[in-house]
Amino acid sequence: MKAGTRLKSAVCDTEVMVIRCGEGTIECGGAPMAEAKPAEAGALNPDFAGGALMGKRYVDAGGKFELLVVKPGKGSLSVDGIALGQKEAKPLPSSD
Amino acid sequence: MLGERARLGGFAIPGRISAGGGCRLIAARDGWIALNLARGDDRDLLPALLEQAIAPDDDAALERAIADRDAAGLTARGREMGLAIAALDETPVSPAVERLGPCAQVAPPRRAPLVIDLAALWAGPLCGNLLRLAGAEVIKLENPNRPDRMREGEPAFFALLNQGKSNVALDPALNADRAALLALLARADIVIEAARPRGLAQLGIDAAALAAQRPGLVWMTITGHGARGEAAGWTGFGDDCAVAGGLSAALRDASGRIGFVGDAPADPLTGIVAAHEAWRAWHSGAGGRIGLAMSAIAATALTEERAFDPALLHSELAEWGTATGQPFPPAPMREPAAPARPLGADNARWLG
Repeated sequence: MKAGTRLKSAVCDTEVMVIRCGEGTIECGGAPMAEAKPAEAGALNPDFAGGALMGKRYVDAGGKFELLVVKPGKGSLSVDGIALGQKEAKPLPSSD
Repeated sequence: MLGERARLGGFAIPGRISAGGGCRLIAARDGWIALNLARGDDRDLLPALLEQAIAPDDDAALERAIADRDAAGLTARGREMGLAIAALDETPVSPAVERLGPCAQVAPPRRAPLVIDLAALWAGPLCGNLLRLAGAEVIKLENPNRPDRMREGEPAFFALLNQGKSNVALDPALNADRAALLALLARADIVIEAARPRGLAQLGIDAAALAAQRPGLVWMTITGHGARGEAAGWTGFGDDCAVAGGLSAALRDASGRIGFVGDAPADPLTGIVAAHEAWRAWHSGAGGRIGLAMSAIAATALTEERAFDPALLHSELAEWGTATGQPFPPAPMREPAAPARPLGADNARWLG
């Protein structure tokens, strides 16, 4: 998938922008994300209900995936069932 | 102060790359944009911004990719992604100074205020420095896990801005530290912060609630482009906000050149305006939240200069446009009265 692609959650309001992407299925709330929203929202998997925070970047342990939340929601982000972690806040510049 | 920073940094009058080096003006298909890539991982976002593969340090490829795109579209997309980006021909979307909530009027206090300065870099700390010079007691608050990087990046300038302030180190992400921070904020007369509103909320700090609890508290919120609506999520630093405020457009109109005006001027302008507004609000007992938008403050300064003496402004800009690469005008250097306090040096005094 191309960097810059926008993906929507099938179960909640979450939307992300793909910053970096490897092989695997990107999910939110336990369900695969897609460029279009399904006609009817699916059920939120309680194991992936921690929420996605606006403006935060989420990464996998291997550093293959990075997603930027552009719209927050109740589902949490995962790839192939493995939860992504929140990336540390961007350090401010040492000078501007 | 600008002269001091230029002297300390050995700055030359900038052209299309800002004096500090972090921001650049790049031609898009239909106009110019200023893109600030000063933070370490900003360049990781470029493939997603441009929707194409691009090597992180390939500035020639970056310029080619931007040349194919519209300035407004790139700016909107970059802002949604948290990049500090501006279009040369844009107009600020927020007022320079505005009340962000009710004004809680109390009897004008007759004592020096206690100021808590939560901001980093330049605008907020300059505001704190000016309030200190006016007689306030100032505490600079830093997150030990995310300290003000200017402390390391520009130590001499950091000392000029932060001399005479107490230093308290607390990490609001930790429960115990957050409780101590909220207790400290409950004692403040003036708070200065420059976080994006959602960043503050994510740390468990509710500026509106704190201001409501304590009538008379003056809470200064410094943002790049505004604290309400979509603009509240945008990032802005001193150079890109000056472009958004129209300074580079004015330079182009006066000199025909594309370049940055001054060195991150939205920062010092905002620090001065913030200090003036905070002092006035405190002394008149007019508490509440006051928002300051750096891009609009730069635009206001330009408008005022133009109204004051349009011919002088034109000749100064024309001269600046032809001086690229020359040293900044010489300025005398002050010595800080005392070095900046080390991180957390005054925790015991203020949190005891």
